[in-house]
Amino acid sequence: MAADKAADLQTNLNSLTVKRPLYEGSTQYKSWRYSPEQLEQVRTSLNAAAVAVIRDTFEADEPGSSEDVLFLNANEEQLLVKLYITKVPQLCGHFRFPEEVEATAISYLKRFYLKNTVMDWHPKNVMLTALFLATKTTNNPISLESYTSNIPKTSSSDVLDLEFLVSQSLNFEFAVWHAHRALWGIWLDLQSLPDVPEDLRPQDIYDIAIKHVRASRFTDAELIYTPSQIALASLTLASPVLAEKWADLKAVAGAAQPLSATLDPTLELIKYIIMQMGHPPDVEAVREVDRRLKLCKNPEKVPGSKAYIARQAAEHRRAEEKRNKKAEDVRRAGTDGGNPFGSELNEDEKAKQLAELDDDDD
Amino acid sequence: MDAVEKANTARQKRWVKDRKVGEGTYAVVYQGREASTSRKVAIKKIKVGQFKDGLDMSAIREVKYLRELHHQNVIELLDVFSSKTNLNLVLEFLDSDLEMIIQDRSLVFLPADIKAWMAMTLRGLEFCHRNFMLHRDLKPNNLLIASDGQLKIADFGLARDFADPGHKMTCQVITRWYRPPELLFGCRYYSSAVDIWSVGCIFAELMLRTPYLPGESDMDQLKTIFRALGTPTEEDWPGHTKLPDYVPVGQFPRTPLRDLFTAASGDTLNLLSRFLVYEPRRRINARDALNHAYFFALPHPSHPSKLPKPAAQTSRPLEELDGNVDIASAGPGVKAVAPNKLKRKLTSPDGTDLRPLARRLDFTQHVKRS
Repeated sequence: MAADKAADLQTNLNSLTVKRPLYEGSTQYKSWRYSPEQLEQVRTSLNAAAVAVIRDTFEADEPGSSEDVLFLNANEEQLLVKLYITKVPQLCGHFRFPEEVEATAISYLKRFYLKNTVMDWHPKNVMLTALFLATKTTNNPISLESYTSNIPKTSSSDVLDLEFLVSQSLNFEFAVWHAHRALWGIWLDLQSLPDVPEDLRPQDIYDIAIKHVRASRFTDAELIYTPSQIALASLTLASPVLAEKWADLKAVAGAAQPLSATLDPTLELIKYIIMQMGHPPDVEAVREVDRRLKLCKNPEKVPGSKAYIARQAAEHRRAEEKRNKKAEDVRRAGTDGGNPFGSELNEDEKAKQLAELDDDDD
Repeated sequence: MDAVEKANTARQKRWVKDRKVGEGTYAVVYQGREASTSRKVAIKKIKVGQFKDGLDMSAIREVKYLRELHHQNVIELLDVFSSKTNLNLVLEFLDSDLEMIIQDRSLVFLPADIKAWMAMTLRGLEFCHRNFMLHRDLKPNNLLIASDGQLKIADFGLARDFADPGHKMTCQVITRWYRPPELLFGCRYYSSAVDIWSVGCIFAELMLRTPYLPGESDMDQLKTIFRALGTPTEEDWPGHTKLPDYVPVGQFPRTPLRDLFTAASGDTLNLLSRFLVYEPRRRINARDALNHAYFFALPHPSHPSKLPKPAAQTSRPLEELDGNVDIASAGPGVKAVAPNKLKRKLTSPDGTDLRPLARRLDFTQHVKRS
């Protein structure tokens, strides 16, 4: 705790004295950056907690019933999420959404499953909600009706029911910075470099680089590296020469070694991630996971099941209690609100006062 | 309960709604406080259930941008949580806005006061623009004033990112009196210069104490602008006659700003004229405006704490409510109103008659300096 405070203080001091990159003010930098180890840890503990809860639910329903259930592990969850990530570009192509929408929806999906388990919320539904939300947050809104009518077997409630849950899971941090924008920026920079004539930077280099950026979206790269790092790694895959020229342009004068040398180890890691993991998962393997998911998903989330009904009843009861308490508060405010001068309250004021108490319906 | 829901409930419990202070079509605003510290806050409850397309765009924009922007001159979003079908934004509590202050005839503005408000507005706006964001609704009542005098840009319901070149944007933004001519002519490709025009109108309004360009319709708005600043020529603003909604609205001569702003210094008028340049690309940007000679010339900007504050008229209805609701627990916020009121009475015993005095004061200051 004290260490936290000291760190905070240090951060505050830094912000006063050191000029920091704009990126460091973003929620992406503050809330959605992990080391590979942290990612692994977040996912494993999330998975373990989810399994424990669902096991209890099974047991509450019918003792001993969880023994034979083979729950998904963190990697299997990941595999399923990845399949639905790869479906986003297909859907976006169908709607002709801009790349910003596609990239944002994919980020939302990844972030969502750092707070939730597929055993509670199937990625198929979450993907549809995340994409719809992304159209709005990137200022490319379409009506819910034209959205759902273009996706088979999807009702508007399939999309809207999860909107709050997705927003909460994102911590209402809707802004996402993307590698494809960074790549475009680098490409524009290259056009103004004096020693990079046009024949050294043909369009197909950009086309290859953007393909690598798109492949990186199927990986964890954006949760670990900054958009510009991913963009530069993608350019390195397309043209090491151009990437180095650009990096050296950005180097600080008087640095001990060229920037490209400092960056190299990071770029190598990103290149590795893109090449090794930047493709859709094996459909057969995912199908197997999905089959098992049917047996181990949280019964509380399956309409009609005993656990679902029990949960609904419990929620109902809680809401009822809350309403009763509120009614009681209103009644009390009505009788002794102005005590000892209550009798002097005129009827209008009393009505207003009641209306106010009543209106706050959370 | 799921972890995410639990976190939401925990957030919800952090804040207490005390009383309703305003209601619009989309939102209800409450005054509230942080449960643990009694810090005063405003809670904007947006009713989402009524929208057929889910969370609506203005709520999304407001949350998206305020989550990212942290600056002394931008309103702070402290928290967001949902309750049933409502979205709740917890914002820092701000007592008044610049419109209230401008309209309070009992207040006298010194040139140094206007300079302070302009500097704070431009700092906030420069930060927005630096973060690639257009506000698109600057006007005095969206510039809120904290109890320590700090000005904060608020209401990001129309904000958006800078569009890529060639990407169309809507021209139906910015409240009419503060809307630049390019938007009135239906321009769909525009830049941060649209916000700068609004800043120019606000600057003028601070000096005049009345809206500078109050058009009665979109068409009349253009006429009002041209009457004040002269009809632009092709040289003033190349290509403007080719804009989608261009219509000739008559020829008006350019009258010197000096004729209307009789008390203003040369630097003041120069900066004002740079804000109100017709050609958007030649209009000054926020960063350059902050480096304009106006801000370096005497008088120095007033310290925020020394700026004129409105009499307590806006808090009065709230206080009347207090009597009825037992949560009027005389928190620090409630007490803070009283000394202000007192000070107001001391400095302006008879309210409305001070307007001529304000002009006179401006004038003497100007004469003294030049």
